[in-house]
Amino acid sequence: MSAEMLAMSEYGRDPRKHHFSPYADNGGTTIAIAGDDFVMVGSDTRLTNYSGILSRNQTKVFPLTEKTMIASTGCWADVLSLYKDLQAKLTLYSQEHHDEMSTPAIAQLVSTVLYWRRFFPYYVSNMVIGLDEDGSGVVYHYDPVGHMEKLRFSSAGASVAQIQPLLDNQLGALNMKDAVPPKVTKALAHQLMHDAFISAAERDVKTGDSCIIYTVTKDGVAEEQVKLRRD
Amino acid sequence: MFQANTQIGDYLVDEHGRKIKLHFDHGTTTLGFKFQGGTILVADSRATSGQYIGSGNVRKIIPITPSLLGTMAGGAADCTYWERVLAKQCKIYQLRNRVHISVAAASKLLANMVYQYKGYGLSMGVMIAGYDKKGPGLYYVDNDGSRMPGNLFSIGSGSIYAYGVVDSGYRWDMTDEEAHDLGRRAVYHATHRDGASGGIVRVYHIKEDGWTIISEDDCTDLHWRYQDEKMASSSQ
Amino acid sequence: MSLECLIGIKFKDFVIMATDMSCLQSIMVHKGDADKMQKLSSHLLMAVSGESGDTTQFSEYIEKNVQLYKMRNGYELPPSAAVHFTRNTLATHLRSREPYMVNLLLGGYDPDQQTAELYYMDYLAASIPVNYYAFGYGGWFTLSVMDREYRPDMSEEEAYGLLVKCTAEIKRRFLANLPKFRVRCVNKDGIKDMKNIVADGEPA
Repeated sequence: MSAEMLAMSEYGRDPRKHHFSPYADNGGTTIAIAGDDFVMVGSDTRLTNYSGILSRNQTKVFPLTEKTMIASTGCWADVLSLYKDLQAKLTLYSQEHHDEMSTPAIAQLVSTVLYWRRFFPYYVSNMVIGLDEDGSGVVYHYDPVGHMEKLRFSSAGASVAQIQPLLDNQLGALNMKDAVPPKVTKALAHQLMHDAFISAAERDVKTGDSCIIYTVTKDGVAEEQVKLRRD
Repeated sequence: MFQANTQIGDYLVDEHGRKIKLHFDHGTTTLGFKFQGGTILVADSRATSGQYIGSGNVRKIIPITPSLLGTMAGGAADCTYWERVLAKQCKIYQLRNRVHISVAAASKLLANMVYQYKGYGLSMGVMIAGYDKKGPGLYYVDNDGSRMPGNLFSIGSGSIYAYGVVDSGYRWDMTDEEAHDLGRRAVYHATHRDGASGGIVRVYHIKEDGWTIISEDDCTDLHWRYQDEKMASSSQ
Repeated sequence: MSLECLIGIKFKDFVIMATDMSCLQSIMVHKGDADKMQKLSSHLLMAVSGESGDTTQFSEYIEKNVQLYKMRNGYELPPSAAVHFTRNTLATHLRSREPYMVNLLLGGYDPDQQTAELYYMDYLAASIPVNYYAFGYGGWFTLSVMDREYRPDMSEEEAYGLLVKCTAEIKRRFLANLPKFRVRCVNKDGIKDMKNIVADGEPA
């Protein structure tokens, strides 16, 4: 068959629609718990693409300033883009003001940055965690287009539906009669976070391998890694 | 009110990566009415993304100025973002003109802003309520740019249920307490019938000297309180 | 959308217009005291229906420009000229990215020519001078009533009576609930409000 004939048949064919999606769901789960003078945030370290595992050792928590961090899961490409964008904005701010941006200001900035992408959103579930101006812990939770809520504890990502009810019960004293919320100590937060990740890894294919836990205090950030199921 | 869904399948995209369809849900009940004693705003506190309750503690009535309030139904981020922009504009207006902005003007600023984005997929149904020199004001503004004044509005998936209660109990000459109770009951009944509404029923009252929070009650507590009242009245 | 109803009738020396007072959204009546007529100038009235948002934005844009013309030139646009401006605006936007989806009835009185005028204008910017017209499903029910009853020399009372007959038919035969109509009249003295019609037709 001549090249001309081939071109003819190609030309005569019905138009075809090629689907392209700019998004992926790379999984991952994050948990954050605030205390009076600290805030603890953890993520699992598994990165997936459908059932394929891209990495067994990738944290989803990133530092923004000395006392503020961001935990992002969802589309990994967008996680990276968003983090770069925020880093650039925070650098610009610190060089202009000779001071780091406060945690509540960063929280509002993240909301606005997410909303600027309203018509082509960053496909990410975010939490901003840090110490506020009084030195007490805060957690901000976001939807992909920037709706923000200030909380004492929260989870986000693949296993929220499994972990959040546990936190609500254990830390918020919800769904119990006459129960009083406990005082959140580092030991309690750590234990609860560890248990939550173990349970999530047990039932969610997108969560596992290990969890990495950061504790933010006025003295800096402490980091610790705990193994989870690797299957 | 909903938070954007985090299910990947809901972001459907054409070959150019445009036309992202979010899973839009409108689970909310908000209610606003004017009466002899000012304006009442009532709202539930549930935010859903798909079937998941993203939050049970949202403030859907948000301060714009000390005498202006806005309600939110539709996209949570859309409402908070644009009402924040509106708050900025109202503050600038006050600094430039040395008078508080009227409810009519504030609501029109918002309507004009969202009208510019008509067809882009914003989702909001809001009330702007306040008090100015013309007296109590209540406006409805939504994402297709329509804006109308009125004495009584209810917005959201639970609005049909709230209307049922409030229409049958509404009078212009209610006392403040009667009005608070009517609004609270209407939204409570909406949370009871509508699965996408729930949490805490917040009642706000706007008078000449600004707005105040009247009550914030958990739906469950209201349920048993109203149940007890019903039993007590039927046994008499 | 076209559950809304606009009616306009032109007579020898006045025009009478009626618009329903309901704001409908999906299955709900949002408001029962709406005003769907915009006063463009002292002798020109525009009834508007269509896409919510577009209706107010378009009618306010037209009104403000007609008022601006008066401020700049010291005299008002005659109704026919204002209608041309309206049509041109609608036609320009029709071929743009954001067309206005509005249907209009423009009723006016030209004090210089001493004539009453009524124009049909749809969202495609087709403009036609008519004696009477009704937009929306209401038109399906009322046009024959007007065909049967209309005379150009009717008095204001007779004209009002004709509108009552039209709205009664809507109440009787149309499934949507349009209980109230706002009525205005334009004559040599300008625009005047008339009593609202609360339709008294009974469903058959």
